[in-house]
Amino acid sequence: MALLEMGNYNDPLDPLRRFVPTPLRTRFRMGASTVMVESNDFSLLPTFSLDTTSEDSDVPALTWKLVRDFDAHGLIQDPLTLMTGQLTVVGMGPACMLGFDHGRRELFCFIGRDVDSKTFQEYLVPFLCRISGKAAEPKSWETVDGVREDALDA
Amino acid sequence: MCARFRVTVDIIVTEMIAFNRMTLPFRAEFSLAGTRCLLSTNSREVMCLSAPWQAVSSAPGAPSFQMEIFVGPSLASDTPAIPHFRGHGHLVFALLEPRSLLSFDLLRRRVTGALSPAAACDSYFWNVQLLPIAIGLLGTTMGVAPLHCACLDRDGSGLLVAGDSGAGKSTLTAALARRGFTVVSDGWTYVSRNPGRLVAHGLFAPIKLLPDTVQFFPELRSKTPKRTLNGELALEVDPANLFQSPVRSSAHPRWLVFLERTSLPGCQFVPCRPEHTIQFFERNGEKLPPGLPEAARARSEVIKELSTCHSWILRTGSDPMQTASAIEEFLSRE
Repeated sequence: MALLEMGNYNDPLDPLRRFVPTPLRTRFRMGASTVMVESNDFSLLPTFSLDTTSEDSDVPALTWKLVRDFDAHGLIQDPLTLMTGQLTVVGMGPACMLGFDHGRRELFCFIGRDVDSKTFQEYLVPFLCRISGKAAEPKSWETVDGVREDALDA
Repeated sequence: MCARFRVTVDIIVTEMIAFNRMTLPFRAEFSLAGTRCLLSTNSREVMCLSAPWQAVSSAPGAPSFQMEIFVGPSLASDTPAIPHFRGHGHLVFALLEPRSLLSFDLLRRRVTGALSPAAACDSYFWNVQLLPIAIGLLGTTMGVAPLHCACLDRDGSGLLVAGDSGAGKSTLTAALARRGFTVVSDGWTYVSRNPGRLVAHGLFAPIKLLPDTVQFFPELRSKTPKRTLNGELALEVDPANLFQSPVRSSAHPRWLVFLERTSLPGCQFVPCRPEHTIQFFERNGEKLPPGLPEAARARSEVIKELSTCHSWILRTGSDPMQTASAIEEFLSRE
């Protein structure tokens, strides 16, 4: 019932779908980081052949927020990637738009209704891993004082 | 429990654009709704297009934002696209053309975009889509509140026309323009608090009228409706061309009218309290991310100050021309 309600999400004061609830949670390890995944759709929770390990509370965490966008139709298109400052943005048409904030270690991704589970697991999840992989190496995005110098402002 | 996995990443063909001083060598600066836009681009066409905007200097100390625009021939496409917007937290993404992609970072006040050559040199695209969207999204982070209302000027006094969707704000704006009011904005007005007084800014976007308003404006008969950003079919009217009405980029709000349709004939002006203004604009404002509390606070402060203007609920059962006439007569006594 809750998922049905999410599919009908239509708040006139939220045309950008900023506040779509993402109550489903999981987590996994990627390199030296823990990835916390939030979603509004079970089929968008990454499935891997997993080796369970004890929980490490001290490993740095990344957040992935994966939103099934029930109003976006069509298949994913060739990615167009913009990299600026601490931000990487990728557009694959309305079916997939994502942004990764390296400084905040947060990835947001909207995935259209026609993107099936196989495409998500076999194409998008590796892509998301690659995009956010840099964040698993904190020093590559941070300077000594903890903030990466923006190439444009340098 | 934590899980460990191994994944093989295939090589995915992706067009990648890095934004830096090397890829965006040209710089310009211009004023936009009381803010300062710092533009970086690789396109001489964008520089030429922005030349008129650069003529308007910003007020000293005006808040600024960065706009980085990369133009590439590979982004060209003949396929029409429906504009698509999504956002989360401090980030907003927009597809305005099939291969044009923009991001708006509200935290760092930065717009980044890859545009097709056609979009880059299209003044309509900039004036009606990109710049209003940029200030509409980033404005609250710079103390500029985007409010869903029209703004006109009469002899140095600003009149804001608000009302629920479908109340007839745009038609009334066109009718007032025809009576000689100066148009500042239609649809969206960007209000900021300057020391001592409020300033309402417009961005020279056209007045959007539904096709059936031709009954009130016969001069629109030769115009063809266009599909607007929200998917509606509308006639886009430049008041300066069509009504020979003056236009300007800003005004100081003095009067505020909340338009309501009624079945009773005539126009009735009912004074309203500041609480009505506050509730109306707070209720109709877009939800802002919780991570930007200062943006919500800035918008509320603008609305609170706006609530001190002389305000009325205007209940009208008259046609737009008669209503515009009634407003003109009413304000002449104020």
